[in-house]
Amino acid sequence: MRVILKTRPRAKPKIPIEAEEIIPQNFLRKNDIRVYEGNKERALDDLFFVTYEGPAVSPDQVEIVLTGDTGVIKRVGEYMNAGRIIIEGDIGMHCGNFMSAGEILIRGNADAWLGREMRGGHILCEGNSGHYCAAGYRGEKRGMRGGIVEVRGNSGDFTAEYLSGGEVIIHGDCGDLPGVEMRGGTLVIGGDCSRPCGNMTGGTCMIFGEAHKFLPTFRKNGTDDIVYAGKHYLMNLFRGDVANRGKGTLMVRQ
Amino acid sequence: MSGLLIKNAFVIDPISGVKGEIMDIAICDGKIVEEAPRDAEIIDAKGHLTLPGGIDSHSHVCGTKVNFGRYMSPEDMRAGRTARKGVMHVTSGYSVPTTFGNSYRYSTMGYTTVLEGAMAPLEARHTHEEFTATPHQDMLANTLFDGNWSVMEAVREKDVKRAAAVVAWTLSAVKGFAIKLTNPGGTEAWGWGRDMSTIHDVVPNFEVTPAEIIGTMIRANELLNLPHSVHLHCNNLGVPGNYRTTLDTISLVPDLNKDRQSLYLTHVQFHSYGGTTWRDICSKSEDITRTINSTPHVVMDMGQIMFGRTTTMTADGPMEFKLYMLHHNKWSNHDVELETGSGIIPVYYSRKSLVNCVMWAIGLELALLTKNPWQCLLSTDSPNGAPFIKYPEIIGLLMSRRFRENERKMIDPRTEHFVPLFAIDRELEWYDIAVMTRAGQAKALGITRIGKGYLTPGAEADVAIYPIKPGEIDPSVEYQQVVAGFSRTLYTIKRGRVVARDGEVVVEGANSTIWSKSNVPAEYDMGSDPEFTRKFEQYYTVRMRNYPVQEVYLPRGKMIASEAFL
Repeated sequence: MRVILKTRPRAKPKIPIEAEEIIPQNFLRKNDIRVYEGNKERALDDLFFVTYEGPAVSPDQVEIVLTGDTGVIKRVGEYMNAGRIIIEGDIGMHCGNFMSAGEILIRGNADAWLGREMRGGHILCEGNSGHYCAAGYRGEKRGMRGGIVEVRGNSGDFTAEYLSGGEVIIHGDCGDLPGVEMRGGTLVIGGDCSRPCGNMTGGTCMIFGEAHKFLPTFRKNGTDDIVYAGKHYLMNLFRGDVANRGKGTLMVRQ
Repeated sequence: MSGLLIKNAFVIDPISGVKGEIMDIAICDGKIVEEAPRDAEIIDAKGHLTLPGGIDSHSHVCGTKVNFGRYMSPEDMRAGRTARKGVMHVTSGYSVPTTFGNSYRYSTMGYTTVLEGAMAPLEARHTHEEFTATPHQDMLANTLFDGNWSVMEAVREKDVKRAAAVVAWTLSAVKGFAIKLTNPGGTEAWGWGRDMSTIHDVVPNFEVTPAEIIGTMIRANELLNLPHSVHLHCNNLGVPGNYRTTLDTISLVPDLNKDRQSLYLTHVQFHSYGGTTWRDICSKSEDITRTINSTPHVVMDMGQIMFGRTTTMTADGPMEFKLYMLHHNKWSNHDVELETGSGIIPVYYSRKSLVNCVMWAIGLELALLTKNPWQCLLSTDSPNGAPFIKYPEIIGLLMSRRFRENERKMIDPRTEHFVPLFAIDRELEWYDIAVMTRAGQAKALGITRIGKGYLTPGAEADVAIYPIKPGEIDPSVEYQQVVAGFSRTLYTIKRGRVVARDGEVVVEGANSTIWSKSNVPAEYDMGSDPEFTRKFEQYYTVRMRNYPVQEVYLPRGKMIASEAFL
């Protein structure tokens, strides 16, 4: 089943929409889906033109397509556990919170907290992502625990903060402090970043661009020739963060 | 005149000697009376358990450190959210809820009076502001004197009367209720990089020992004729083998007051550990309770821990530092100039941790092995052992051996080798629970004189009606019903007004703050003592005239006055 949600024109288009109920399993049961516009509760029909195409017997077969002015929609795909969401434009904060399975494809940019504390599944963002991509929310000690987040563009600050499992791949540059407090999992940064992996205790981070303001609390551990995505790279190896007896691996391309 | 008549109530009122009788309770203008006015509203209790309003004699719900617990744990604030409903505000937080959260949750459990366990005098204003935002409970504040410089100087001079005078001035300045000593001397010593391991170690710069501070303060408290006794958090909290310190402390206590205890020991579970390290920690609850049973002038509360997530917060800074070294999680440490300190750490008590299982068992043993329920009150030192919403579960555990056996299957199987809990057959009665949750507290806090904790004419009309029919259920088997019943009252009545019904708060509420003032002779008034004033102006960063909490912070203050024997 394909569900197409096209945003309706609104009198005040800047008011954010909170739509944690937009997940495939809810559309399968044709639940009465409620969304919030600011602090007002609305029916889905009030804010979107909804079109259903074809049947589905399980949530895996449900595909949601969001089009229109989607940049102000928050929490799409929260607790999603099957199916597919395609966002034709930008998406607001907290896309894919806690998702455990399924797939989210974002053709535009994603705002902050993309894939916050996700457990599994796959998120692909073809544009840039905001701050705290694949991180834990305020005060949480574990961020993303499983699954894959892939960003084709750049990512903001604190990417993969508290990462404890799964894989985060940023093809472009990262902002400040990517992989800070990492406990496990893999973080791959295709471009540049600054101050990577502060206080990491576990996991692996690979940086293929330049690491600015490199922290002094990492111990050099030789070099290694690795194969990534079918290509050979010569990497400098570091262990750390030794300030807190961390045992993470940080690799930076020579 | 507003009246209320509660009919067919199954009343247990230990202070008045009512041990379970079907009777009517008449209320007029917020007081219990002989006969209700003719137009009184009638509540039919239908034989349900009716008790005086609950009193928590040691809980951390208001004040700067509680607030710090809130903002250092945003993940805790995301838990336990409830939406706005009727007169209820939005609440959030699980182990350290917002003030309204605390108030509503206590109210739906039938609690109408709560004592804040530790208020630093310098930060009293904030505590009082939060008290006014906890509208359904009458609040009292224990005031910290454990590292008070003026008190320690008086102790060094062996001048009990001067110590009493400092206490009297401070209590009336900050509108506190009683003396709280938290790890006396220990926090101050730690400020200088030292750690106290016994109560006979010397506090640097003051040349006094914790034992001297405790002894002097107990006597000073009686000189001031305060309603409550000294409220003591012993030294060496949470250290394996610390039961010796606790026994030492109990042996210091003279019997000075015929109406109530001379010392209140709080969260004794944390002070009853045997062994030498975390690996061989074991329960010494038998030693402690044997001493308590033979020392009727000491009252304690359990400080039970319950498994799950919570936040520890105490004025015992060094202890929190040791906890931080164990957990390496976030930690807050705070020094209050010239007075005390504090520390906060979020913790998780796990069924898989042997140490936590032993701690869990010790709390229950203390309650089960203490013969006289008036001497061991129910508390979790909320939120240190568990948030107070776990009280009903503790009641269930105390009333049902089967519940304890079921828990035994889920905890670390080695626990039974370290604790005597599973050999204890005792199951508490409804009467014991009524003592341990309200009557005992009222007596220990000395607030029966203002009508708290009983239901005979003249008392404050604080009543809790629980959906439990004591004759019809067997708590040792149907413990789940006991837990559910104590979690949610049918009616909570505060000062003659129904404030909560079926787990829902129905009025805005207007509490009062109870504080005590001891009238001392003019020569003991520290406000005009040149030495005290000089030191105050010299050392504090605030002016002495700005220090006292103004009356405006206590919109419904209620003073308990007493005459000092100075």
